[in-house]
Amino acid sequence: MLDVRNATISYGACEVLQEISFSLEPGCVVVLLGANGAGKTTLIKALNGTLPLSSGEVTLDGKRLADISRREIAENIAVVAQENETRFPVTVLEFVLSGRFVHGNAFGWESDADIEFAKKALADCDLSGFETRLMNHLSGGERQRVVLARALATGAKILLLDEPTANLDLAHQAMMFRLVRERCSQSNYSAIVITHDLNLAAEFADEIIMLHRGRIAAAGPPEKVLTADNVQDVFGVKVLLDENPASRKLRVTAIY
Amino acid sequence: MFFAVAVFAGCRSNVSIPNTNAPATVAMRQVTDDLGRTVAVPVKITRVVSLAPNLTENIFAVGAGDRLVGVTTFCNYPEAAKSIAKIGDTMNPNMESIIALKPDVVFVSTASQIEAFMKTLEANKIAVYVTKADSLDALMKNLSDLGDIFGSKDISSKLISDLTTRINTIQKTAGDTRTRVFVQISKEPLFTIGNQSFLTTALGKAAAESVTRQVETAYPKLSKETALALDPEAIILSDSEDNREPNEVFKNSPAVKNGRVYKVNADLLSRPGPRLVDALEQIAKDLHPEKFPNK
Amino acid sequence: MNRKAIIIGLALLAALAAAIILAVLLGAERLPIFDLNEQQASILFDIRLPRILLGACVGASLAVAGAGLQSLLRNPLAEPYLLGVSNGAALGTMLAFVFFQSLEITRPLLAFAGAGLATVAVYRMAKSRAGMNVERLILSGVIVTTFLSSVIVMLTTLLDAAKLRSFTFWLLGDLSQATRNGVYLSLGAVIVGTIVLMSQARALNLMMVGERDAFDFGVEVGRVRMLVFGAASLVVGAAVAASGSVGYVGLIVPHLVRLSVGSDNRLVVPCSAIAGAIFVVFADTIARTAIAPRELPVGAVTALIGAPMFIYLLRRN
Repeated sequence: MLDVRNATISYGACEVLQEISFSLEPGCVVVLLGANGAGKTTLIKALNGTLPLSSGEVTLDGKRLADISRREIAENIAVVAQENETRFPVTVLEFVLSGRFVHGNAFGWESDADIEFAKKALADCDLSGFETRLMNHLSGGERQRVVLARALATGAKILLLDEPTANLDLAHQAMMFRLVRERCSQSNYSAIVITHDLNLAAEFADEIIMLHRGRIAAAGPPEKVLTADNVQDVFGVKVLLDENPASRKLRVTAIY
Repeated sequence: MFFAVAVFAGCRSNVSIPNTNAPATVAMRQVTDDLGRTVAVPVKITRVVSLAPNLTENIFAVGAGDRLVGVTTFCNYPEAAKSIAKIGDTMNPNMESIIALKPDVVFVSTASQIEAFMKTLEANKIAVYVTKADSLDALMKNLSDLGDIFGSKDISSKLISDLTTRINTIQKTAGDTRTRVFVQISKEPLFTIGNQSFLTTALGKAAAESVTRQVETAYPKLSKETALALDPEAIILSDSEDNREPNEVFKNSPAVKNGRVYKVNADLLSRPGPRLVDALEQIAKDLHPEKFPNK
Repeated sequence: MNRKAIIIGLALLAALAAAIILAVLLGAERLPIFDLNEQQASILFDIRLPRILLGACVGASLAVAGAGLQSLLRNPLAEPYLLGVSNGAALGTMLAFVFFQSLEITRPLLAFAGAGLATVAVYRMAKSRAGMNVERLILSGVIVTTFLSSVIVMLTTLLDAAKLRSFTFWLLGDLSQATRNGVYLSLGAVIVGTIVLMSQARALNLMMVGERDAFDFGVEVGRVRMLVFGAASLVVGAAVAASGSVGYVGLIVPHLVRLSVGSDNRLVVPCSAIAGAIFVVFADTIARTAIAPRELPVGAVTALIGAPMFIYLLRRN
């Protein structure tokens, strides 16, 4: 379980994150919403120890992140972020297997079990048969799914996803969220997802945190957080809220 | 990187300063240099620049040393040369200094890279005389030509006569049997003299024969394998800081085993000038001590 | 994965053995290999063989350093020469020669120091708050290497003609000064360096894709960087101290290796070492036989082979 208490990150006079506190429980999908520059990515980076906090703390199962090794963090927390361009010829399977880094020693090769794990992660992301394809021959959306597969291949139970559906088509957007939801509900994973899609958030989130200028503007279940006033305050956009007839979840429609 | 430096150097030498040298009424004459170029020089030359140490020595030797107004930083002989204004080294002469000295003629050796600065000097109406000394005979001709140019034929003739006598004496005394010699210019990397070095032919006068006389270029870098297989009878070290001992490949050669390793002043070996004869004398005595009983 | 690695490794080792045997048979002097007299044996064992072995070590060092730096810096153009590492080592060696003439051990030591300092300088220059950017890295590398080049040129200008001659040749890469001790030192350095780089191979597989990715997946990025920079400086320092600046090896060889075996550093690092050795042994055989009994600088041969090869590779991509 990941706990955040009064996390603050400031660069000089600029406070990027201010007094963020929340808990990520096993089985929970938390969606992080906010305008560009609100601090969402910064928060994700703080949650796996990439960015040090100016004050406050993040604890993993009771231990402060600052006190545990990168290896231990990586065993428990996996990140899905915007993927860099690969300048070298790397195959999909190699890419995904590299996620198994913490499970091997320096001079070893991956075991058959590792390879099976990786292949299953690829299958879950609808990428079966892609193993020998080269990463830079894939489309943006396919690469995005490989990045997710790598995170799943780590076996870490806490997933941090930074705009994982950015390049994905409609079908795969739903697939990704469904996959994350499933892992959390069935295998006791927990996930924090950054997205701009309010409807996907409403559909899949157990809890929504709305960040505004580095602070938590609102936090709680979708019905409580996704109100017209909140959306207007945080995003500056007028929305209409009603119920999705198919899923019976909240539906958010922007008024242009 | 080297290209950039060369271009830059080339750009610098295109400086053109108007030459307010001699009044138009100076009597001129035409002479031919070693490259066959016709060079116009004053009949009475008063100001001269030398761009090579051997040329400096030669000019002093024909009695015209007092007319030198500029020499290179390497020009250290005779003693008087040291106090003459320095205008750079053989490879990178300072164009502005040369032009400012207003010389009647600049003497250049083919051993330097002359193209770029020859053009600049000519553009400034400064005569350039190119010398090429690749043998003893060429050296004698050079001395004779200098005597002619400076109007000191009496000195130059006597010099040539003396030098020729000395060379003949060495040759006669040393005899016909030529010792197989390796001339080591630098130890690491291993440099020696090749078929285009003036020293290669000159060694014959001292009853010596360079084992690398057929290798291309003047100063080739030699394969150590070949050096080892050459088995020289004697080794001559051109005396400089990085060349105090023969290369290890010679450790089992007759030269090293018999202690026939001799140091000769590097300047003597590298400058085609009168002191080359001093070097030949020394080499002949070192190689054939029994032929020269009284040191 | 394992089996493929073993097959490729064995094939490369066989090729290296073949290259060495060929190199032993060729040289400025013709040697009847099975019937050597004492002098010929001396040529073979005191001159030819140490030089060939040094060439193998230098080639392995430069290639393995190139492979490591390319993965670490996420840049296929990273290589010891381009990044100023070779020039740093060269300057260190020259200073050792000028100030500590007879103490031979100072040369590889100062070479290592020079290589390390150059590496750190380039890295510091290239790093910004936003992280390491490929173009910035190349720019920093070019700045550092040309600056060091200028310092070297200045230093050679201040030296007298004799020393100048010996350095000018050496700077272009010259294996003719191979000694037994030089070979041992170089061999030791390349073995240590390759093992260190292989130990970081898995981490490099992650770093190759992104520094942040590597961090996220458990890599101690700072430590890996230090180890890779340290290993690269060590092997390059030893190589340059022994033979000057042999260019293109660190650039071309890892590329060719990746084209054949993929980008997994667990394969690329050791294969680059072996392939680099083959490349330089081959180039040096040409350098010492093409105009025999004179010699070409081996760096000129690697450039003559390497540059067209590089252009060809670029066009293929």
